[in-house]
Amino acid sequence: MAAIKQTFFQECEEQLVELESGLLRMEDGDDDLETVNAVFRAVHSIKGGAGAFGFDELVEFVHVFETTLDLIRSAKLAATPAVTKTLLRASDVLADLVRAAREGGSADAGAVKVIADELSALLGGAPRHGDDDGKVSVEALDFQPVCISLDSIFDVGEPEAPATQDFIVRFKPSAGLYAKANESLRLLRELGSLGEMSVECDISEIPLLSELDPEGAYLGWTIRLTTSASEAQVREVFEFVEWDCELSVETADVGKLLEALQESLEPHEAPEASAPVAEPKQTSVAIDPTPASFAAPSDEHPAAARAESAKGEGSASVQATIRVDLDRVDRLINLVGELVINQAMLSQRVSEAGLSRASSVVIGLDELEQLTRDIQDSVMAIRAQPVKPVFQRMSRTVREVASMTGKAVRLVMDGETTEVDKTVIERLTDPLTHMIRNAVDHGIEKAEDRIAAGKPEEGSLRLSATHRSGRIVIEVADDGAGINRARVRQIAVSKGLIPAEANLTDDEIDNLIFLPGFSTASSVSNISGRGVGMDVVKRAIQALGGRISISSVPGRGSTFSMSLPLTLAVLDGMVVTVGGQTLVIPLTAIIETLQPKKESVHELGAGARVIATRNTFTPLIDVGAVLLYRDEPIEATSQVALLVESESGAKCALLVDAIQGQRQVVIKSLETNYGHVHGIAAATILGDGRVALILDVDAIVARPRADMIVAEMPAAAE
Amino acid sequence: MVTVSLPEILDIRAASPLATELLQARGNPLTIEASSVAKVGAQCIQVLLSAHATWTADGLPLNVAHPSEPLLDALETLGIPFTDISEQESTK
Repeated sequence: MAAIKQTFFQECEEQLVELESGLLRMEDGDDDLETVNAVFRAVHSIKGGAGAFGFDELVEFVHVFETTLDLIRSAKLAATPAVTKTLLRASDVLADLVRAAREGGSADAGAVKVIADELSALLGGAPRHGDDDGKVSVEALDFQPVCISLDSIFDVGEPEAPATQDFIVRFKPSAGLYAKANESLRLLRELGSLGEMSVECDISEIPLLSELDPEGAYLGWTIRLTTSASEAQVREVFEFVEWDCELSVETADVGKLLEALQESLEPHEAPEASAPVAEPKQTSVAIDPTPASFAAPSDEHPAAARAESAKGEGSASVQATIRVDLDRVDRLINLVGELVINQAMLSQRVSEAGLSRASSVVIGLDELEQLTRDIQDSVMAIRAQPVKPVFQRMSRTVREVASMTGKAVRLVMDGETTEVDKTVIERLTDPLTHMIRNAVDHGIEKAEDRIAAGKPEEGSLRLSATHRSGRIVIEVADDGAGINRARVRQIAVSKGLIPAEANLTDDEIDNLIFLPGFSTASSVSNISGRGVGMDVVKRAIQALGGRISISSVPGRGSTFSMSLPLTLAVLDGMVVTVGGQTLVIPLTAIIETLQPKKESVHELGAGARVIATRNTFTPLIDVGAVLLYRDEPIEATSQVALLVESESGAKCALLVDAIQGQRQVVIKSLETNYGHVHGIAAATILGDGRVALILDVDAIVARPRADMIVAEMPAAAE
Repeated sequence: MVTVSLPEILDIRAASPLATELLQARGNPLTIEASSVAKVGAQCIQVLLSAHATWTADGLPLNVAHPSEPLLDALETLGIPFTDISEQESTK
């Protein structure tokens, strides 16, 4: 039972994502019926599961939600921006309720009530489609039966008296329906129990006996039902088979009009008992229930077909995936990591044995290496997930912060399908949430300031993800006022972070906001001022092996850009020797390697050196001295310099004793197995079985930079 | 003239055997004895519809004799006229 519940919650998560993305599409003006249907299905599935597990609070809310969506679906309620906004907030509340149900707690009853009331208000007297053209009668607002049980809880207004209406139900089961022990006959009987029913069967697809698949599905039905039941109740009959059939439910006045139209277009073929089977006895027409489509029903064919095929694809993709415990995948990844190490060890043994490069053992090993790499890539791909769920959570953050600060902000998302390792995704949520909060709270100006600055009243926040040379780059860009550099500088001075007379570039001032203990908010608001500064964001991103940088244009806005590794499990590294120790430097940080010449190395104050490369001076850092492998600085000309770039874009030359080679290494966390060491990001196991440390380039580069700022050295020309 | 008797239960599991049995009778005038049918599903109705179409195409008579109440009831619910599965009207 617990396992089934687990699955239900997993599915809930998926449905919630589906729901939100559908609603966002609707907010963007997508009025495709299939979008509304997808949204409805998502809510409907959650309701089904919630009911089965007895999550009453959840079911009650979902019911009102579903009823509202049903009105939109049947074009009785227009999806105006105000309505979609309410629906989006309802989806937030729904997510809270699902979480409450999963964790056994309870959601904020006040918030639930507010939204439930708003939804009920929509049900009661919201703007309706067709009020002015009179094509949809007021009696058609049939929300009454499903709402009865909720009156006491959500104070739904007095329902209108039920009126009977005619429905045209078109139902064509697939073979899957029968295979799952469902039976058309039972469904039709159940439908008949709702009211007066007349059934027409389309037997035109029945083949001759020799071609018949006895367990196939060839029949389709058109049912005219006169009932006091609502459309939702009619649909409920097919609740458990909706994925295994084509189903449409329309009010008959729509159907009648269409039939009349059809009759005027073509001679009607009367059903004849002895007609040859090959000839269709009945023309089936796809109907779009929106009144606007009356004029051109034939145009609706492709749309309906598209919708059906989309439905088909949906169910196919469900079949094509399996749910696997993350632990199992991680175990597999770990094992593959071991395989890589083992393969490297084997290679080393072989090369130690002095076999020729052309020997079959070496060639076989090369093939094994290629294969290992392929396996590793495939295994990593299993963990790759689109960033969409995280991005979508951000749209909620934007809504919440915008409403708290009274600003109008529009979130634009780009590249949500970009894939990245699941661990990266999980650990991205917090820093990203914080950055989004910051952008809305501090970045985007108040409406009156925006208007005064000649910008649109609504602020824009852009969240994008792209793959760039083996890394994923995520950007948060706002079109706000940009960083107030004078103020940032003033705060940094007042907090003693920089000396008052420090001479900093714009870029360096911008980067001050990442310093620990820096907060620009003059008053602590309840949004950004939670004691969490951008330094925490930066550390979170760095912990992921990522880099964060900022660019800001006064009056035009700021862009935070994060570059993250696609996976946290392996790394392409340069293996080097420093002070007799083997170290690995991430290849992504290295720009080039060079042999320092005596004339290009210059002393700069006590102990600081710069190297001249391509007409610029770059700080020269002796890695051995920083890591305390040796006390005395070593002569640069006897060493190799690696030109690296840190996350802030600062360049630096690292002095190492020698380069051993380039290799893919499996990252083993130092924190989990030992503890944090400054200047060291992680460890790995080399081919000979020895542990090698992986250098934290940013930490190495950042240290002298901080020293330089405090000591107010003239900034080295870069 | 060949006679095939329908079993009591005509659910999804009965569809394949029924189709096979009817196919074996193809080429002969056929009477389907339907008095004992107690339970019937849409897929067996499909087989009967197909059989009728096949015999019609072959120009041979196919009649369903003594249809039971459950069978007639099922046909009515499904909106299928009796003459879609039998050349002659129901002879109870």
